[in-house]
Amino acid sequence: MAEEIKTLSSQLAQDPDSLVFLRLGELLRMKGQLDAAQRVAVTGLDRHPHLPDAHDLFARILADKHDYERAFDEWDMALRIAPDHVGALKGLAFLYFKVGDLAQAAAHLEAAQRVAPADASIAQALAMARGGESPPSPTAPEGEGEPVALPASDAPTERAPPPPPRPPGAAQPLEEARVFAGLEGAQEGLLLLDAAGRVLGGALKDPGGKDVTDAVAAYLAGVSQEAARTAKLLALGRWTGVAAEGNGGHVHLTAPTGDALLLVVRDRAVPMGRLAIIAQRAAVAARRWLEKHA
Amino acid sequence: MTTRAVENWTLEPLVKFVKEASARLVLVMTSAGQVLAQHGFSRAVDVMSAAALGAAIVASTDEIARQMGQPPFAALNHQGERHGIFLAAVATGRGRLVALVVYDLEVSSLGLVQLFFEQLAADLQAASPKDSVPKQVLAADFERELSASLNTLFGR
Amino acid sequence: MTTAPANYTRALDLVTRVRGVRGAMLVSADDGIIVAEQLMEGIKGPAVAALAASLATRLRRAMEAAGVGASLFWHLQAEQGALLVVPTAGGTLVVAVAEPDVNVGLVRLELLRAGEVVG
Repeated sequence: MAEEIKTLSSQLAQDPDSLVFLRLGELLRMKGQLDAAQRVAVTGLDRHPHLPDAHDLFARILADKHDYERAFDEWDMALRIAPDHVGALKGLAFLYFKVGDLAQAAAHLEAAQRVAPADASIAQALAMARGGESPPSPTAPEGEGEPVALPASDAPTERAPPPPPRPPGAAQPLEEARVFAGLEGAQEGLLLLDAAGRVLGGALKDPGGKDVTDAVAAYLAGVSQEAARTAKLLALGRWTGVAAEGNGGHVHLTAPTGDALLLVVRDRAVPMGRLAIIAQRAAVAARRWLEKHA
Repeated sequence: MTTRAVENWTLEPLVKFVKEASARLVLVMTSAGQVLAQHGFSRAVDVMSAAALGAAIVASTDEIARQMGQPPFAALNHQGERHGIFLAAVATGRGRLVALVVYDLEVSSLGLVQLFFEQLAADLQAASPKDSVPKQVLAADFERELSASLNTLFGR
Repeated sequence: MTTAPANYTRALDLVTRVRGVRGAMLVSADDGIIVAEQLMEGIKGPAVAALAASLATRLRRAMEAAGVGASLFWHLQAEQGALLVVPTAGGTLVVAVAEPDVNVGLVRLELLRAGEVVG
């Protein structure tokens, strides 16, 4: 593998427009050289922004780095360019499974199976998803249809974490996760509330890992009421969001519908502009979920 | 928390003010200390003393302003550790009225109270009986008037 | 008639010179009252001050509960305008009232600079 990497590297150096970056990036990823793999993928994407395989490669690397949110974006982009892209369908299925949305996971695997009916790994993943087991990671190498476990203990082939204990009368955690299916942080950085401040989905953890869902929910209704009153009395029209930078993180509050509130929290490494995009995407997911459960 | 009025036209403006300014206690009274409406008080004795003290403070500051050759002060504010006390007068068709507002600094502020007091003043002016002559309360009637007001304010 | 201290004027100038900003104010965060202002006609200064301070207080509590610490900058977005705020260490809010399509990054930068001037 090392020899092949060397050869491909020199080919790419001679011809930067070459598509060998796809193979090179994949080999580096498989070797666990994720930063190098990412540099290759990003450089390739700069030159071939409409190549679905390039987005798929980048998504695999991001998934290996546990950056599931951006991985989702990249696989989503691959599917926009090539709606039948099997790698992207399998990747999204994996992410949906991770957040507990078995229906979406199965739907994406079924779509992949329609495109590649002979791919045994898809059938196997589908059976596992339907049975509630984690399907093989889409970042595992394609082989004879057998899922190959990655050596690292934190490899993305890990099973979805077990759901936390459910308090009496509370919504199923799985149901909560579905609100933000496919979005990173569904259980630690996204929160959907009703107008009375009751939690509809998602969860929040502080930087120390402590669950602060209820404490934050209690304050958010007041923030949104004040935002609405401020916008009204200052003749600013309907409020559409409150974005704030904190010492230890950023928050973005929106009202996806007239009587629901959505809070997105991320650490300071996530720029405010990107946070707004994440919030928009989460708002779409929340609206869909609210319409379905109205 | 209950909002009650001796004169009904004061009720709606007061309810609105309490909600917007997040006020904890409010008295609307004449400058003589006759209470027209209250919010948040649970004991008649507290209303009586607050009304008497509020009216006395307004009378004192009016006199200070007069001696300084100034128009009466528009409003007075005292900021405590946890609460603020805001006292201001408003001219209405019912005569000059005084509002005493106690607000919790955790949920409100002087700015909010001032902002919504302007609205309260406008609402009271608009709602007050236009042609009424301010009723003179004679000392002989004062006890009876006070007792009747307190009965109304506390629903007795 | 009182005149705002020179550094207050300088701080407000930094903010109001940004295209799309309709007014800037310094507000006492605890009281919600105006410390200094430069506002275009039609903007209700006392209302901006009181409401911005109230929203800042509520937002601060929510952010502290979420473990993201005190707010350094916040932005209320609305269909026909925006309110952008930087709280200072000294308990003052530097507030901008702006058009909805204002360059938020630039206003943020100037608000932070104004915050340093005010202290």
